[in-house]
Amino acid sequence: MKNVDPVDYAVISQSLIAAAREMGAKLIRSAYSTIVREARDCSAAILDRHGNVVAQAELIPMQLGPMATTFKACAALYPVDQLAEGDFYINNDPFEGGQHLPDIFVFTPIFVDGQVVGFGATTAHHLDLGGGAPGLNSLASDIYQEGFRIPPSRYSMRDWGERGMFQRLVAANIRVPDQTIGDLNAQFAANNTGAGRVHELCRKYGVATVEAVMAELLDYSERRVRAALRAVPNGVYLGEDAIDDDGITDTPLVIKAKVTVKDEEIEIDFAGTCDQVQRNLNCPYSSTISAALSCVKAVLTSPDIPFNEGLKRPIKVTAPYGSLLNPRHPAPVRARMEAGYRVWNAVMKALAQVVPDKVIACGNDTTYVGAFSHLGPNGYKIYLEVFGGGYGASPTVDGCDGVDGPLSNCANAPIESLDMDHDFVRVLEYSLIPDSFGAGATRGGLGFVRRYEVLKDGVELNLYADRFRIAPDGLFGGEPGMPGACEVKRGDRTFRLKSKDRATLEKGDVVSLICGGGAGYGPPERRRRELIERDLAEGYMTRDNARRLYGDLARAAE
Amino acid sequence: MLRAGVEVGGTFTDLVAVEGGKVIVGKVPSVPRSPDEGAYNALVAGAVPIDRIDDLVHGSTVATNAVLERKGARIAFITTQGFRDVLGLQRHDRRSIYDLSYQKPASLAPRRDCFEVRERILADGMVETALDEVSVMRLADGPLAQAGYDAVAVCLLNAYANPAHEARVAELIRSKLPNLLVTCSSDVAREFREYERASTTVLAAYVQPVIARYLERFEGKLKGAGFHGKFSIMQSSGGRTPAEGMKRNAVTALFSGPAAGATGAARLAARAGYRNLITFDMGGTSTDVCLVVDGEPQLASETEIDGLPVRTPVLDIVSVGAGGGSVVWVDDGGMLRAGPRSTGADPGPACYGRGGTLPSVTDAHVIRGTIRPKAFLGGRMTIERDKACSVFAELASRFGMSLEEVADSAIRIAEANIVRAIQIVSTERGHDPRDYALLPFGGAGPLHAARIAEDLGIRTILVPPCAGVISAYGLLAADYVHHETATRRIELKPGVEDEIRAAVAEMQARAAQRFQEIGIEGNPKFDVTAEMRFVGQAFEVPVVLPLDRLDKLTVAEIGDLFEAAHERLYRHGAAGRKRIEIVAFRLGAALPLEALPTIASPESVGDIAETAVVTERKRTFDCPVKARASIPLGGKVAGPLLLEDSTSTIYVPEGWGGEVDQWYNLVLRRVA
Repeated sequence: MKNVDPVDYAVISQSLIAAAREMGAKLIRSAYSTIVREARDCSAAILDRHGNVVAQAELIPMQLGPMATTFKACAALYPVDQLAEGDFYINNDPFEGGQHLPDIFVFTPIFVDGQVVGFGATTAHHLDLGGGAPGLNSLASDIYQEGFRIPPSRYSMRDWGERGMFQRLVAANIRVPDQTIGDLNAQFAANNTGAGRVHELCRKYGVATVEAVMAELLDYSERRVRAALRAVPNGVYLGEDAIDDDGITDTPLVIKAKVTVKDEEIEIDFAGTCDQVQRNLNCPYSSTISAALSCVKAVLTSPDIPFNEGLKRPIKVTAPYGSLLNPRHPAPVRARMEAGYRVWNAVMKALAQVVPDKVIACGNDTTYVGAFSHLGPNGYKIYLEVFGGGYGASPTVDGCDGVDGPLSNCANAPIESLDMDHDFVRVLEYSLIPDSFGAGATRGGLGFVRRYEVLKDGVELNLYADRFRIAPDGLFGGEPGMPGACEVKRGDRTFRLKSKDRATLEKGDVVSLICGGGAGYGPPERRRRELIERDLAEGYMTRDNARRLYGDLARAAE
Repeated sequence: MLRAGVEVGGTFTDLVAVEGGKVIVGKVPSVPRSPDEGAYNALVAGAVPIDRIDDLVHGSTVATNAVLERKGARIAFITTQGFRDVLGLQRHDRRSIYDLSYQKPASLAPRRDCFEVRERILADGMVETALDEVSVMRLADGPLAQAGYDAVAVCLLNAYANPAHEARVAELIRSKLPNLLVTCSSDVAREFREYERASTTVLAAYVQPVIARYLERFEGKLKGAGFHGKFSIMQSSGGRTPAEGMKRNAVTALFSGPAAGATGAARLAARAGYRNLITFDMGGTSTDVCLVVDGEPQLASETEIDGLPVRTPVLDIVSVGAGGGSVVWVDDGGMLRAGPRSTGADPGPACYGRGGTLPSVTDAHVIRGTIRPKAFLGGRMTIERDKACSVFAELASRFGMSLEEVADSAIRIAEANIVRAIQIVSTERGHDPRDYALLPFGGAGPLHAARIAEDLGIRTILVPPCAGVISAYGLLAADYVHHETATRRIELKPGVEDEIRAAVAEMQARAAQRFQEIGIEGNPKFDVTAEMRFVGQAFEVPVVLPLDRLDKLTVAEIGDLFEAAHERLYRHGAAGRKRIEIVAFRLGAALPLEALPTIASPESVGDIAETAVVTERKRTFDCPVKARASIPLGGKVAGPLLLEDSTSTIYVPEGWGGEVDQWYNLVLRRVA
């Protein structure tokens, strides 16, 4: 902090963080699709002139890493110093720094006196970008079937608007253009809000001071990560986890992490991970990096450290080209979050060997996406939601019940908002599942069920999830959590879908999306008695399960 | 006419009593386990003749504390079959995304107290499944009768669109269990999003019996002392309601403390001709900020308490952990910070000499010279500068600065936190702070106001008299207010004007009836806001409808008003040629006071005629000190100057000057 006054630093850095937060809030509040406005599947950040994230809104961890990589792919083709006011960068290409096609990254340059000083950046998960099925094509065998691809590009706002040719091109290739274009407009507006705030800061403190603070913010995160890493003993630690299958065969997709801690740096290598697969479980390299970094940050540093490019400096992540975690073009990648979660689990298990007090057991740690769609006389209607399940138990507290997983942070859509918007499905039940946790000294979080009645014939369901077959592992004697499932009840008959599947539904079908529970930490015998009694009284645990787990202790509690 | 306002805070209970030109101002310690005692004591200590009080207005933190300390009623929650876990599942998200031990805010109704009834109403209000009355009676005969509940919260799906099932559930339960208090979501917050509405309903049921008992106790005590005047209670909306009204809907008391302050400040300023303001109340632990437009503090669209959503009319007050007691510290990345942690009332800042060992903002003022030890709280409290210096010594050496410089840096960082809070209520809501005057109050507000104004480009500051007791004054200055909300979706198309006018008229009639029921006489003044959005959006932008020309207002004009508001807020949306809809109406009905009471500092005091040595922004200079009361009406001041009174100190930096107006406000203006 040599050349920045501490007061200027404190004031400007906090203002940058506030600007990013405001961008995120406004993006959500002016968006159109349920996935952005209710689920909040979006992120916002302020970037410096070089595309380094300096401040971010705390929304979705997985989307924060690729801000810089998607930016750099754009800037390499269209240099920053050739941008004019009104230009913007846009990119959703998983093979150019992106993650999966629905996440579109938009960057708006911030001009002060004709010079670019930084960028307002947002990403949002868009409901539908065309491709082989509405919202989600779970059977895609390459990226072309997954939807509309926007390579790293520079356009001008002249190309946007109702007669803008770029907007017309996008709108013509997607199924629900009103919502998607509306959400993109919200992204542009949020970027402008952030740009306006940075502009005001530059006017007040001068460009040089603001840029010095941006640089210092990166150094600050780096210093704090290095300090945290110094406290971890040097060594090589291994971890492993697996995805159920690729949706075609029954073979688990194994992910292996080798974590090497040396002084204040850490290297994570995924050699030994399975090869890329034919379906959408492939995880682009930028997603792999995001997942691994998120785990290191969550385990080793306190929550208040800004997640930015400085944080990445002491952390190196490698994955073999052609593996599940660094696939070759044109692999399909839509469900990359599942592999991302197993990366998180594998790195967590490796760190568990050296910092057991800082890690948590495996949670359900799955993105469970159900996309219901219906084609009527007025075009497509799409309803897509993203669910988590039970969190893994920590050394001190039970895992959170019924919550989104650690790499994501989507809110649910209120039942009343679905009732207002959709006439082809209706939610009948949304409830916690007793006994779905993995027992332990601290228990995993409970899973939950979301049950739907189908109101029209010909509703399509596209699905991807995981942990239907391989349950999440407990730590240090904790038990595994309950796996998830998808059940369809048609008349008297009930059939199950696989974790990566699709089905055509009939009016009257009842579909249950069952999201699994988290695993426990430490042996169940060490669980405090008042917690056992509470779980019984609240109905989190049934009496039968209590007897199985705690025998006499449970009987005494009755 | 004798009017008294009694405001119970966490540490002190404040009193302002006014009769003609006579003003009584008092402060006594609160009695946390029995706040009504503290309130009563304040009246006695101030020698207010209770039997002669015509108008008593009361504000307290009883409802807030019941929630924060989880000491509310024992309640049951009833919802639609399939959704018992709505309070536990909440919104399925996390507030802190990297916290591996994350826990959701704890619900006020644990899962064992949550029940279901069979029924389903759809979004348009149509009954899909009729209410299964047997399932209600089973609850009434079973758990509701046996488990010892004080109250029941009922929130059924889509009840905002059709409250019939909720009303019937309440009726059935009351018929069986007449002593059980039943609160329905459709009476508390008639808007969509079931979790937020359920949370509000549960909060309402949770605080209702506590408030009812409290008010009965207090009223009993007052009557015992011969009180026979009007008794009213402050609401979160900044308006008052007769005690009778509060007994019906106590959730409106949750944020009444900060609301009283903002209202008092707004009324005082309006009388002096300032109708657009930013108020900030800086006390010991936090600062509350509020935006006042055309004399009225703004309402928030949503708020929460202890992580639990609340959807009732609440003033848009943003709170930051920046107060005199805020701790100054260095985080593990080497960054200097101030707050949000506070040294609290005990031990308090190090300079209080009560064993405090942490550097605080008040210590920083003592070091930098802007609080004079012998003048603090009118000299009633001993301040030890040595202790302040010793707790700041380590920070000074760490940053290679003098003690005075590091103290000044800490104050500037605390001020920056307040600036950001002001930006949230202004810039982020589409208002330019430069169009507003700044009104500081609370013990610490006037010390910081000038520098905060400079940071925001504000050129006028209004420092009211008795700045330390503005909240209690706000009770006296508050109108009777009642709010109505109606969710009503109307797409803007030519010809719907009549429908809009009918909706507004219906709400006006309902509000007038409510006033009558709780015994308020007179013709209320109405204001109507339409909550509007583009079709397809989920969050609304409030648009004030001009009631005086509602009969001539066209759909096109309403659309223009909305687009302008949307553009101001989000920087897009104007001239979009997109479909627009009204989703809800909010109506405020207010019965203004006939005359606003005055609080002034009438008695003149001799000059102090001393100087303080102040270090600010790397400059050390001699700063004259005066007693605030020594400046007569119309008297002028020029910075640098410290103005002291018994409740606060005003810092007027160089480049600022001003005068005392006819209402004893000190009006400061930037002159350079």
